[in-house]
Amino acid sequence: MTEESSVLRACVEHFTFHDEAGPVLTGLELALRRGTITALLGASGSGKTTLGRLLGGWSRPGNSGLLSGVLEVAGQILHFEGTDDDPAINAAEWARHVGYVPQDSTTVLSMVRATVGEELAFGLENRGVSPAAMRESVQHVAGRLGLTHLLEHSPTTLSGGELRKLAIGCVVIMNPEVLILDEPAASLDAEAAAGLVTLMRDLAGRGTAVLVLSQCVDALVRAAGHWFLLQEGSLSAGGIMAELPDFTALAAAGLVVSAGCGGVGSTPATDLPVDAQLMPDGSAHRALPPDLGGSKFPAAQLTDVQFAFGPVARQRRPLRRRNAQRAVPPNTVLRGVNLSLQAGEVIAITGPNGAGKSTLLRHFNGLLQPDSGSVLIEGKDIAGQATGTVAAAVGLLFQQPRDQLFERTAQREVAFGLSGSAGTIAAAATHALDVVGLSGASSRHPAELPASQQRLLALATVLARRPAILLLDEPTVALDGHGRRFLVRAIHVAAAAGAAVVLVTHDVDFAAEAAHKTLVLSDGILVPAEP
Amino acid sequence: MKLHPLTSLAIAGSAAVVTTAAASVPLSLAVMATAAALSFMSGRGAQVLAASAMILVPLCLALFMVHGLFFPEGTTVIAQWGPARVTIEGLTFAAERASRIGAAVVPLLVFSCTVSVPDLVAALSARGVSGRVAFVLAATLALVPAIGQQQLRIRQAQEARGLVIRRHLPSRIAAFRLQALPLVLSLVEEASGRAQALEARGFVSAARPTSYRQVQDPLPQRILRWLVLLCAAVVVGLRLSSSLPGGNW
Repeated sequence: MTEESSVLRACVEHFTFHDEAGPVLTGLELALRRGTITALLGASGSGKTTLGRLLGGWSRPGNSGLLSGVLEVAGQILHFEGTDDDPAINAAEWARHVGYVPQDSTTVLSMVRATVGEELAFGLENRGVSPAAMRESVQHVAGRLGLTHLLEHSPTTLSGGELRKLAIGCVVIMNPEVLILDEPAASLDAEAAAGLVTLMRDLAGRGTAVLVLSQCVDALVRAAGHWFLLQEGSLSAGGIMAELPDFTALAAAGLVVSAGCGGVGSTPATDLPVDAQLMPDGSAHRALPPDLGGSKFPAAQLTDVQFAFGPVARQRRPLRRRNAQRAVPPNTVLRGVNLSLQAGEVIAITGPNGAGKSTLLRHFNGLLQPDSGSVLIEGKDIAGQATGTVAAAVGLLFQQPRDQLFERTAQREVAFGLSGSAGTIAAAATHALDVVGLSGASSRHPAELPASQQRLLALATVLARRPAILLLDEPTVALDGHGRRFLVRAIHVAAAAGAAVVLVTHDVDFAAEAAHKTLVLSDGILVPAEP
Repeated sequence: MKLHPLTSLAIAGSAAVVTTAAASVPLSLAVMATAAALSFMSGRGAQVLAASAMILVPLCLALFMVHGLFFPEGTTVIAQWGPARVTIEGLTFAAERASRIGAAVVPLLVFSCTVSVPDLVAALSARGVSGRVAFVLAATLALVPAIGQQQLRIRQAQEARGLVIRRHLPSRIAAFRLQALPLVLSLVEEASGRAQALEARGFVSAARPTSYRQVQDPLPQRILRWLVLLCAAVVVGLRLSSSLPGGNW
């Protein structure tokens, strides 16, 4: 790659955050040419997101940290020496050339716009684009991302995958010369991920330079022409896609190669536990263990659960109305879910974005209560019970770690809600952090941790309670290869100890690897997955 | 008929100005009653009532404490405790002031609780109001719901980890105490991230913003707006002229 042909170039001698002692990025050079797709691979904590934010104008030298090096965008060269005399980056002007979609997709959104269409148009409004041109652009981008049917919906009602598509749309609609996507496949179903690959190729075909930041070697990464590997803040390897290292080398770098990472791409599984076996029908699902609990009741039983958002739905319904006969209201998400979950059983639930998978999980612990039907936990109907009471038996890993983390340190975070003496609580919290590989981060603020470690910390908060039923909502999102191994081990240990586990995931390979069976939530009911 | 947001604003603002200028208790009470009725008709009665109580109850208590007990011009004494005297004149004065404040506050609260914020922002943008002003207004009006959603997320996370919240007040207060600090910290963190996104999306652009959302503004409503604003100006003018030497209002 030559400097002359690149639209964005970074030559980083070192970049150091203000509140950190050592540099996060050192001695790297990266140039992005028009009309190309480049993959920047790296495990959690490698500096991938920091570099993405620096290139995207979200971490500005001087404001966020000190940069020594050169940034060049659209022919304008900026020299930085880590002093007060360094040039200031105008974020708005930078964004005219470079669009950045962060890992936490909701950050992009203004959240003051009433509909998806208005949110998409927000950036165009600020540029003074005419209403007619805006409507055309909104329709076009929404069509490309499968958001057309959601244009009149409020962004606050979207699922995690739909929000990611919206965030990508908000940046793509500005037609930047460079598009930087940080973990773009996270939470996307297979169809959406495939659509994103097509969109990336089309954008590159029109001259856009696309940079994909990922810790998972999936179809989006494989769509790239070039790849680079970032390790400990430096580029350690790179080349054309045909020269991508083999599985062993990538896995050793902490990358995920074995699973879909959003439902696309796949290579064989890696860390199957010792008790994993193939099913008689040849599928990769694990065999169901013998009855561990010996209980006469299923761990959880959902019977004809129906639920709709909107005026008929409330956060809590103190009184259960079993088998209520009435017309199906609009915005119905669950239309009669039946599920019996045994102790020690691991069930994976997949389904398209917006199908209601997270909504279903919240019925297990009473955060949502069905409009009709019943939820029995260990044989007891939880209708009208406080969620905090149900939580003694049910642990939930939320889809967004930030929804789960609210304390000042990782140790306090895990200790929250545990009962017993101070010593017992501290020991349980320390053990849970150790189980997920975060024993060295116990005093760090959860918000300071990389996304992968935030996910693991959230997992530790659930594991520390030793729940009889473990609910995991998109647990692989943001996890690198190392984190994923901790996750798989934790699931198998919990199941072996008699916990029933429900996974919601778009990662079909992970589902097959970790679960005894996979169900699909489709049109509001659960059906067995096709082999 | 759906009111244009600026029409609603003009009516609410004029009501506040007219009742303040007129200083008539019956008029103030009538305005408050009408505003309250409109809020219930729009389905936001409980919200307006709660917000009104939060603002007016402390204010009215302060008024009656000060003027009801310590009104120098008061002559008709109902009760007396040392230097504190409850007089008819003091109570009347406090009631007049309370009704005037109420007549200004309630219509504006009805407006803020019933207005479509996106419509208001679009209407302001269409009139050339700076995008920053429009956003700040939208963010301010959307602040309470946003904080409520964030608090709900934190509460659900805590409940999912064993926090039991009972229906009685002490339990809710105890729960809120646990949620307050995480709520503030998360809002600060979110605001920081949001600021970067807004800059990147051209929020501080020098270009005059346009609006994707189109709000209908029929001619009769435009005329109505001018009429109510004119009416308010006339009442204020009359009030000022009556205050001059020789005036008799």
